This record gives sequence, C-alpha cells and structure tokens, in this order.
Amino acid sequence: MNKENRAWQWSAHTVLILFSAACVLPFLLLVISSVTDENAIVQNGYTFFPDKFGLQAYDYLRQQSSLIFHAYGITVLITVVGTTASLLITSLLAYPLSRRDLPGGTALAFILFFTLLFNGGLVPTYLIYTQLFHIKNTLLALIVPGLLMNGFNVLLMRTFFMTTVPVPVLESASMDGAGEFKMYYKIVLPLSLPILATVGLFQGLAYWNDWNNGLIYVTDPKLFSLQNVLNRIMSDIQFLASNSSMSSHASDAIAKLPSETFRMAIAVIGVIPILIAYPFFQKYFVKGMTIGAVKG
Amino acid sequence: MNHSHNRFGRKLRKFGPLYLMMIPGLIYLAINNYLPMFGLSIAFKDINYRKGIWGSDWIGLKNFEYLFKTSDAYLITRNTILYNVAFIIIGLVVAVGVAILLNEIKNKIASRLYQSLIILPFLISMVLVSYLVYAMLSIDNGFVNKTILPALGLDPISWYNEPKYWPYILVFVNVWKGAGYACIVYLAAIIGIDPEYYEAATLDGASKWQQIRKITIPLISPVIIMLTLLGIGRIFYSDFGLFYQVPMNSGALFDTTNVIDTYVFRGLMQLGDIGMSSAAGFYQSLVGFILVLLSNYIVRKINRENALF
Amino acid sequence: MKKSLMGVSALLISTMLFASACSSGGNDSAGSASNAGASSKPTEKSVELTVAFPIFGAVPKDMQVVQDEINKITQEKINATVKLMPIGFGDWQQQTNLMLTSNEKLDLMAVFGTSYSNMVAKGQLVPLDEQLEENGQGIKSALEPDYLNAAKINGNVYAVPTIRDLAVDYGILMRKDLLDKNNIDAASVKTLDDVERVLKTVKGSDANFTPLIPGAVGMTLREGYVVYDDLGDSIGVLPDFDNGLKVVNLYETQEYADFVKRMHNWYKAGYILKDAATNKTTQFDLIKANKGFAYMSRQKPGFETVESKSNGQPMVAAELLPPVATTSSVTSIMWGVPVNSVNPDKATAFLNLLFSDKDVINLLDWGVEGKDYVKKSDGVIDFPEGVDASNSGYNLNMGWLFGNQFLSYVFNGDDPDLWTKMDEFNKSARKSKALGFIFDVTPVKTEYAAVSNVITQYKLPIEMGSVDPDKILPEFISKLKSAGIDKIIAAKQQQLNEWAKANSVQ
Repeated sequence: MNKENRAWQWSAHTVLILFSAACVLPFLLLVISSVTDENAIVQNGYTFFPDKFGLQAYDYLRQQSSLIFHAYGITVLITVVGTTASLLITSLLAYPLSRRDLPGGTALAFILFFTLLFNGGLVPTYLIYTQLFHIKNTLLALIVPGLLMNGFNVLLMRTFFMTTVPVPVLESASMDGAGEFKMYYKIVLPLSLPILATVGLFQGLAYWNDWNNGLIYVTDPKLFSLQNVLNRIMSDIQFLASNSSMSSHASDAIAKLPSETFRMAIAVIGVIPILIAYPFFQKYFVKGMTIGAVKG
Repeated sequence: MNHSHNRFGRKLRKFGPLYLMMIPGLIYLAINNYLPMFGLSIAFKDINYRKGIWGSDWIGLKNFEYLFKTSDAYLITRNTILYNVAFIIIGLVVAVGVAILLNEIKNKIASRLYQSLIILPFLISMVLVSYLVYAMLSIDNGFVNKTILPALGLDPISWYNEPKYWPYILVFVNVWKGAGYACIVYLAAIIGIDPEYYEAATLDGASKWQQIRKITIPLISPVIIMLTLLGIGRIFYSDFGLFYQVPMNSGALFDTTNVIDTYVFRGLMQLGDIGMSSAAGFYQSLVGFILVLLSNYIVRKINRENALF
Repeated sequence: MKKSLMGVSALLISTMLFASACSSGGNDSAGSASNAGASSKPTEKSVELTVAFPIFGAVPKDMQVVQDEINKITQEKINATVKLMPIGFGDWQQQTNLMLTSNEKLDLMAVFGTSYSNMVAKGQLVPLDEQLEENGQGIKSALEPDYLNAAKINGNVYAVPTIRDLAVDYGILMRKDLLDKNNIDAASVKTLDDVERVLKTVKGSDANFTPLIPGAVGMTLREGYVVYDDLGDSIGVLPDFDNGLKVVNLYETQEYADFVKRMHNWYKAGYILKDAATNKTTQFDLIKANKGFAYMSRQKPGFETVESKSNGQPMVAAELLPPVATTSSVTSIMWGVPVNSVNPDKATAFLNLLFSDKDVINLLDWGVEGKDYVKKSDGVIDFPEGVDASNSGYNLNMGWLFGNQFLSYVFNGDDPDLWTKMDEFNKSARKSKALGFIFDVTPVKTEYAAVSNVITQYKLPIEMGSVDPDKILPEFISKLKSAGIDKIIAAKQQQLNEWAKANSVQ
C-alpha cells in the first residue's frame, strides 16, 4: 500500500515537473527576450543565452511610466469591482438553476445556454450600450459589456452546486426554517469555495486581460486600461503588417515602432501582477467546509 | 379554483426568493445578449447605413453563398471539425489527467507551484505565442533547426512551408495553452469530492487506479460532460489567433491550417462586409446548436441528471 | 409556469427592442437640439466640428494645445471650432465603422482608398460637389482637377485626396556602405538585370548573407515593382497603365510569369531573405541588424533622406520605374464628410482651410511654433533647444494626412525645395488611362471573398520567390479560375467600359 503511494507520488511529480517545464520554459524565453539586445534578436533569433543583453524595451516603458501607472490603476479597479460584482450575479443565478425542483429551471438553463452560441454581433451590441445606456467613455463600459456575467461560468457553477451541495442538507435546513437567501449564504457558498475561487480567477483574468471593451467603448485616454495601452501598440504593428501600401508614408512611424523585445516586455509587465495575485486565489483552493460540518 | 390558487401561493412562497435571486442575472442576459439579437437579421440583409439596419433590404441567403460556393468549402469544414474533435478529446484527457495527478500530490508547496506554472501559457496572448513558436521553428534561427535536429543528425526542416507537420504543432500548442485552464476546473471538481468515499475505498483495499476509475471519474463526469457539450457547441468555431497568427499566415500551410474563421477573415478583409461576416457567425452557431441539442438529447437518455437542460 | 415565463421574457425583450428603436431615433434630434442650444452669438451660432483621423502610437501630449490654437483661427475665419479625435491606426477601421453605424457625431474624417468605394456604396459619405463649389474654392484651386476627379464615383466626389505624392514610382533602395565597398554606382541601376548584377556582387561569396529583403512587412517583391494599373486591388489589371482599357488577369500575364520566375532564381541563388514569405521584422530592423542590403518599394521625392533616417544609415535610391498616377495612388488618403455630420457646410469650410491655410496646416503637421518647433530659415524648421523626437510634445510627422502638405514647413535635414520637387513629380507623372475609375465590388462579393483567399494563399510564397513557379503558378491560376476570378474581371471590364463612355475616355 505504502509502496503504491510512493510510486504514485513519484510518477505524479515526474509528469507534473515535465508539464510545468513545458509551460515555464517558453515564458522564460519571453522574459529573457525582453532583456535581449534588439539587434541580437534580429540577427540570431530568440535564445535562452543571448550574446548581448539590453534594456531598451524597458527604457521605452519607463518613458511612458506615468501613462502606464495610470493604466495599471484603471485595470486594478475594474478587475476588483468587476470580479466581485460578477461573482455575486453569477452565483445568484447559478444557485436557483442548480435546484432541480425549480419550476422552469430547464427552460431558464436553455435560455442561458443559448447565449453561449448565438449573439447579435458587435454592431447591435454597440448600439444597445451606447444609444440605450450611454456608457461610452465611462468606467462602466470597461466592466459591463460582455464581461459581467458569462453563461459558461454560470453553467459551471450550477454543475458544481448540483454535485457538491447535497439535496438532503438543503432540505433539512429548509425544515429548520432557513430561507433561501440564508441557505445560499450559509450553506451553498461555504461548500463551494473551490468553484468560487475558480470562477473568480477566470473572471479576474478576463477583466485583467480585456482590451476589447476599451477598444470599442472608450476613446478617452484617461480611461485606458493597461491592456488597452499595450494593445494599441500591438494593433499598430498588425495594421502596418497588413497594409504594406502605407509603408512609403509611414516610414517614420514604422521606424519608431517598438521592437520585438518591447513586445515581450509588454507581456512581462502584463503577467507579473497576475503571478503575484495568484496565491491569493489558491488559498481558497482547498477543500471547502466539509459536508459533515454542515450536517452536524 | 381556490385550491389551485392556494397551491400557486405556496409555490410562490417557496420559489419566490429563488426567482428574486435570478433577477440581476436575467436582466443582464436580456440587455447584454438578447437585446442585441436583432442583429442576427443582419445575416439576411444587404446593409445600407442610409436605410439603417431595420430598413435595409432582405436578400435571403445571399450572404451565405461565399461560404459554400468555393472549392475550399470542404477543406475548411473538414479542418475545423477535425481540429476541434482533437482539441476536445486530447484536451480532456490531458486536463483530467493533470488534475488527478495534482490532487495526488501530498506536498502542498509543490502542488501550488505546479498549479501556478501550468496556467502561465493561458496568460500569454496568441500573438506572443506565435513569436515563441517562431523562436522554435524559424528556418535559420529556430531552436529546433539549430539545436535539436542537428543533435539527432537530421536535416533542418522548412517548417513554415511543410503543411504535414502542422496538425501536430497546432494540437500541441492548443493543448499546451488551454490545459492549465481546464485543469483548474477539474481540480476544483475533484477537491469537492467528499473524502469519505476514498477513505471507505481504501479500507476496502481498492488500489489508487481503481479509486480513480470508480470514484473520481464518475463524480466529476457532470463537469466533463458539460465542458464537452460546450466544446461540441463551438465545433464550427476556431481560435482565430491559433490558426492565423501561429502559422504566420503562411500560404503554403493552408491545406492544414485554413479553418472557417481564417477563411472568412481573409475573404472579407478587403470587402469588410458586415452581412457576410454575420452570415458566417450565424452558420457556425447554427451547426453547433443543432449538434448540442442532439448530444444533450443523448446524454439525457442515458442520465437525465447530467444533461445541460 | 414554464410557458408563462418564456412568454414574459419574450414580451420583455420585444418591449425593450421597441424602446431601443425609438430612443435611437429620438437621439438624433436631441443631439442637434443641444447643438443649437449651445450657440451664444446671436447672429450665427458657432459650431463644434468633430474631426477624426488616425495616428500611430500614443496621443501627443500637446494635442489639446494644438486644438486650442486651431480653434482661435477657425473661430475667426469660419465661425466654428474643432474637436480633434485621434484614433490609433490599428483601431481606426473598427472605431469609425461603429461611429458611422450608430450615428454618433462626426463631421469630418480621413478616408482611405481601400474602403472608399465601400463607404460610398453603403451610403456613409456626403456628396461634396456642391459643397466644394460653395465652401471649398481653396481645395479646387490647390488640387489639380484630374486628381480631384480621380475620386469621383458615379459623377460625384465623396472625398478629397490630400495633396502629397499623388503618383508612384518604384525603385530600389540600397545601403551606401556596401555600394561603396563594392564600387557600385547607384545611377547605373536602371533595370531588374542591373539589380540582379548588383545583388550578385554584393552577395559575393558569403553564403549566409541574403542581400534583398521585403520592402515592408507583408509586402511581396512584386508589390515593390508594379508595371500595371492595379484598378484598386490587382484582381483584374491594366498592363502598362493602358492596354486599350482591356482588363486582364494579372496572374496569367507573361510579365508576371517572367517576374516570379526571376524571383525564384534569385531565391535559389541566395539573394532573397530565406523566410521572406513569413517575415515579420521591419525592413529597418533587418537593415540595422545587417540582415540585408536593399529593398524594392514605392518611392517619392525625398525618399532617400527619410529612409536613411529610418534605417539609421545612409541609403541610396535608384529608380526602376518612372512615376505614374493611378486611382489607387491618388485616392489612397482622402478626407470626407460622413452623413453623420450635423453641419456639412462648416465641415467643408474647415476642410477648405486644410488645403489653403498655412497656419492650420502647420499646427496639425508640426504643432505650436516655439514649443514644438522653431523656424531655422525660410520654410525650414527644427526642434527647439533640448527637444527631440523622443520628448517632443507634438511630433506626429504626418503631413501627408492633413490636407495640403505643400503648405507645410520642411523639417531640417530634408530638401528645402522638397515641395517644389514633389509638385513637379505630380505634374510630370504619367497618368494611367483608367485614372478616375473606381471599381464597385458589390455585384461580385461572393467570388471576391473566394478569390481573396486564393490570393493570400499563393501571393507571398510565389512573389517572394520561395516556391517554384513552374509547379505552383499553374495551380494558382486554376484555383483562381475555380474561385471565380473571371467573373470579377468581367464585372470590372463592364464597369470600366461604362466609366470610359461616361467620361469619354478613348
């Protein structure tokens, strides 16, 4: 028995170390590239052991530091507010849907699921949000459209509530006179910490990495999030790559384009804060309150 | 009459709070998803802005023609479906496997470290992934051609001109990038399993492998089924970045890298026709929708509890 | 219960839809009403014009200052103010499209040749003929009639081309150090044979050095050497800018076959960057890193100086093809008044200033005098003390975008006579027989999407020489045919014939 356990431990570690290495090495390459000398990259390509290091990319970022810090602030704000609101709305919808006895539950689940496959498209969504709700150039524009609640997350949470929250527990609580809100708050949520952490993580990442809302609904540079600032640079690059007829006019702009090392640096400064915040989510990634405790 | 009224009242008292809870979410769905659905009509219209979306002329299925009236129609449909099937199956096996192993790890620090590392690829945008792949596969400077192949005594390969390698490359990149994400979901499901099951099984002398097969997999199967059904729903869609950026838009690779999304993008780049792009989206959604209804029906037949709706 | 819930939600949705339809309708009147209310002068209200244009990179710090300075002038001259709305180039297409569709306030915008005919077909631009007569005399006198007429669609001008290099000549740009080292006289390079000779010499015996690189990211070698009128998109072209107005399939012409064959020979000989077909590094970075010697591209007067600066080293240009003006070269950058405009008269009046007012132009091109630039001598300017490109508050450097570039100052280092030479270049350029013809793709959209796909598949590898045309070119042509290229060409021919008849072009 013990032997079997040890064998499992060993093989699990081996597989996971290999898998982690496959994930971390390319990222390392990215970090190293961001501090490689620009000409060295063009000459020799990306390498783990560059001939020459250089901090040109970060110098450029430092020149823009006030802009970037402001954008960091916006990103943190929308991520915190958005994720919190989103977790609340998502779980409030997911819990009733997880109740098999809810009349109309199946139809509602279908209505929810339908949104995962069909959408009206960008232009109609834009019309609704700007003409009906006037959110252009507001913070709400960065939080609400498309991101606030995702049908996928609701279905995910619903599935978890169905499997991890035993019906008898809810029934006995109901017998004891607990209202639905109380049961949601006192039983369902504490039992579901891992899935709340998971959905919270997904939502947090979605907000942190989102540039689409900023691109569509925001023209005021004061409201640009970090990804908006960074993505504008990337989209200029993409534009020039697909519109080579502009090249004779835009010589000056092309020459000023941030180099490949800079693009790597962009990724690094976007990802580092996530890595710092990540352990916070992991804390909730342990077993939630045990069912026994609730029963008792 | 009175009797049924009473029953309704009781039901309302019982379920009223539950409906109340759903209101914010349902309002959001109405605004964010259902109101803009009038846009689905764009797929059937010849949009002229002077007339507006409502006023533009209906043109039937004309916007859909370009998706079928091409010799590439078979190729892009085949590629899209095959890639998605591979992604669903391989992605599932890898993610569930890694999640199970992660759960087995006793050392908490190591477990957390692995968890943080495997999500890294998910955080890098596809454009940058394409640079990293290029760093590996570039003709002159790529790691593979410069280091690995010479070490094995093989000739360099012109990766961006050889379509036959790309199914493997793209599946690898997709699994590498997405496995961490899916793995977290499965891990959350495994963590939610009541430890009593395992304790009982261990007492009965069940091996680890048996425990995984008889306890873990069945108990996380609702999540597996849900994610798979959603994967099937998007079987006509593909990650544009993966198929456009990663192969560097190299024409020589189109046989194995062209999918519906890239075809539509390349076809409409100059035209910029909103009707035709809506048509493509509508077509993709419709096929996925039908397939999900079918699969959900089958799941329902087998086990009602696991059906999505 | 189930049914009623569905019913309620359906009802909810339909009412909200109705509300949205009403409110979007009502919004317009509210917008114009508030505009009317904003007036303070009793005689004529001052209008605020929203002016959108694309920029590269971040919004300049001094944008607001420039706007204020412009408004001092416009307030006085046309009794209007402007609100400048710079949008990133990469986001331009999407953002302007959304603004146009949702009827947001927008009075004047830059229009690019690639989307021009689409915008007109979709009814997004105001016809300008009468406007130009009333409010745009400055434009009419600054822009040669042939060039203004090049923007006509069905007899109407919907956008005005900016005054810059309106014709195009193609040539090769080479590193001076390597020319000197190999004793090559750039003036002797006049044909592709000459280029081949030079590449051979420069390459020498260095197996790893590939002298020729793409003229831009994603640009093929053939696109840097164009011997036909592309009629908008290179799908159906006029060889030698005339061909008796007979449209032909570019990829079936002998010239094309010869050219790609030559490129393949160059590629095999090691003259062309190995991964040219997938290259994503800019020409400047490649040159700076000593990964190349020369590239072929569009040129214009002053090109050598500009590119030398961008490449960080002296470059020498040699012209391979003389300048020709085509619809594409003229209409590539224009300005138009969107149908969203609340006041097309004032919008045109401001556009007129962009073509006739030196002060407005120089504010947009170079910023505020004394702050962003100082005058050196007559017509030549430079950065003030302690300011350079990296810390300047306004250094868009996009004179070609804002109206009449010939009214702008010349930056120190460029030829002081640059604009005279450019004017001469435009006037002396040969004019394509189809100058003024704009193809409307609407009737053949389906085929167009398929053909576009085939072209992206084959264009880069075949035109960069990396594949053997003997094998690939027939395959390319047959796929184009099955995608329906002949139908597009026939449609183009028909439209061209009609255009020729309407404009009495023989």
